Amino acid sequence: MITLSLVVCVLFLALLGAPLFIVILAAAMIGFYSADIPLTVITVEVYRLVDTPLLLALPLFTFAGYVLAESNLSTKLVRLAQVLLGWLPGGLAVVAFVSCAFFTAFTGASGVTIVAVGAFLFPALVRAGYPEKFSLGLVTTSGSLGLLLAPSLPLILYGVIVQQMDLPKPFSMRDLFIAGLLPAFLMIFMLSIYSVWTNRSFGISSPKFSKAEVRSALMDMRWELPLPFLVLGGIYSGLFTVSEVAAVAALYILVVETTILREVKLRELSKITLEAMVMVGGILLILGVSLAFTNYLIDAQIPQYLFTYTQSFITNKYTFLILLNLMLLALGAILDIFSALVIMVPLIVPLALGFGVDPVHLGIIFLANMQIGYFTPPIGMNLFIASYRFKKPITELYSATLPFMFVLLSALILITYIPKLSLIFLDR
Amino acid sequence: MKKIAKILRIIHCGEDLLLVCALLAVLSLAITQIVMRNFFDTGFLWSESFVRILLLWIAMIGALVATRENNHIRIDALSRFLPEAVERFVAMFIGLASSLICFIVAYYGLEFVSYEFQDNTIAFANVPTWMCQVILPVGFCLMGLRFLFQAIRSLTG
Repeated sequence: MITLSLVVCVLFLALLGAPLFIVILAAAMIGFYSADIPLTVITVEVYRLVDTPLLLALPLFTFAGYVLAESNLSTKLVRLAQVLLGWLPGGLAVVAFVSCAFFTAFTGASGVTIVAVGAFLFPALVRAGYPEKFSLGLVTTSGSLGLLLAPSLPLILYGVIVQQMDLPKPFSMRDLFIAGLLPAFLMIFMLSIYSVWTNRSFGISSPKFSKAEVRSALMDMRWELPLPFLVLGGIYSGLFTVSEVAAVAALYILVVETTILREVKLRELSKITLEAMVMVGGILLILGVSLAFTNYLIDAQIPQYLFTYTQSFITNKYTFLILLNLMLLALGAILDIFSALVIMVPLIVPLALGFGVDPVHLGIIFLANMQIGYFTPPIGMNLFIASYRFKKPITELYSATLPFMFVLLSALILITYIPKLSLIFLDR
Repeated sequence: MKKIAKILRIIHCGEDLLLVCALLAVLSLAITQIVMRNFFDTGFLWSESFVRILLLWIAMIGALVATRENNHIRIDALSRFLPEAVERFVAMFIGLASSLICFIVAYYGLEFVSYEFQDNTIAFANVPTWMCQVILPVGFCLMGLRFLFQAIRSLTG
């Protein structure tokens, strides 16, 4: 009885807006206390952060992303994409999707894509003749595109969380990065088809392809261009570990942006580093306390109980996946992506394994749902960021993003029910 | 009063500095390891353990700064619908509850560290394990204090 009322208190704390790590700590304390386990175990578990593999990549990529977000990369990236792809029919829309996806993969889906890239894509789209509502929806949707591409932080975090769970079916971070490739391209492809098709009657002007322009745009980006090859090549080829790539990328970006291009002043650098580390610290602490909470859950055999319970009304993998999608979409609309990852992954992964879903495929499904959650009304984070940035009422954004959401929902269905899309390049 | 403000400012600067230095240390150690391994086929045995401890310190100090700036990740589904008077009360309640939880964790954390102190284990090189772990009770205790001050401040306005 006392336990139940305490649990209600914790839920109440969470909904009222207590810091997430406090909520998880409180839940773990109640659990351990009612199981007569001394609370010392909580710090012992938080200290286990030290033994978590791959954690090093997290602060290094975050730091690299924060520095890149402060540089002029966004301008140059859009320009390059524009001269390379702009001459295609519907080219500018494709440009928007591609550059946003790359920018998000490198900087993390923290809304910075909308502010940095969207801010001049939106006027460019309107100038080229796209309707304003369409452009607004496009830019807002693109803010979370690229979540499935290496080295996006949520993807790394999923790997970190699952790997410390000691699953019967282990996978490497590289597997996860390879699995995200086709689903990400599918999303970009379907969004592009939709954009070209809806705007076919508007007579949108496309500039001619010019070799000189391409050359000058490439020259402009000569220092940033090796970066995707370094990161993606390093990881996908398997020549380097993810942490090594993260370290080299962070050093490269630091040197290029501060001493060669001087787009980031040394004075600002300590401020940027601090911001990045505060964000990383918050996430790592949540991860640490969730280690304690997960330990309690396993100790109390909650995952097994959950599995037997769901098995009483779900009999096959496909019904399970439908329900999983519905639940994750709802969660993605309420929780931010990092909270959703640390709270839900330890519960869902054993369940999904029980139903025969591959943990790599599950990660892709999980993040694809979260990506849509970023602009699900009423409180998807990117809706607020776009509303603030473009000074439009939030209700206008609801209706502007709706068609894009349907496109991505169909992509989600394909990704969920065709596991091959994620696993084709992997030997699983 | 002026003196307290000054001391607080020094503490804040110290935290910021530690955090930035920790990242720079992590970055340079990681790069050194790569260079040593690939070109000289060797490496420092203690480096990896040290980097992992640094990550723990980044977690705790980063969270400490996040507490200072009221910048933690939270779910926050209800608070934007609350009237201002209620919101202040809610903020005080959350501050008090958070500080209580932090203090409890800090208390048991101290027990954990004291065990390690008695066992006198070594984490890496000549650094004893308890020195690496001491950030846990200290960090949680400071966070508890910050939450407490925030609770008091939200009541007095």
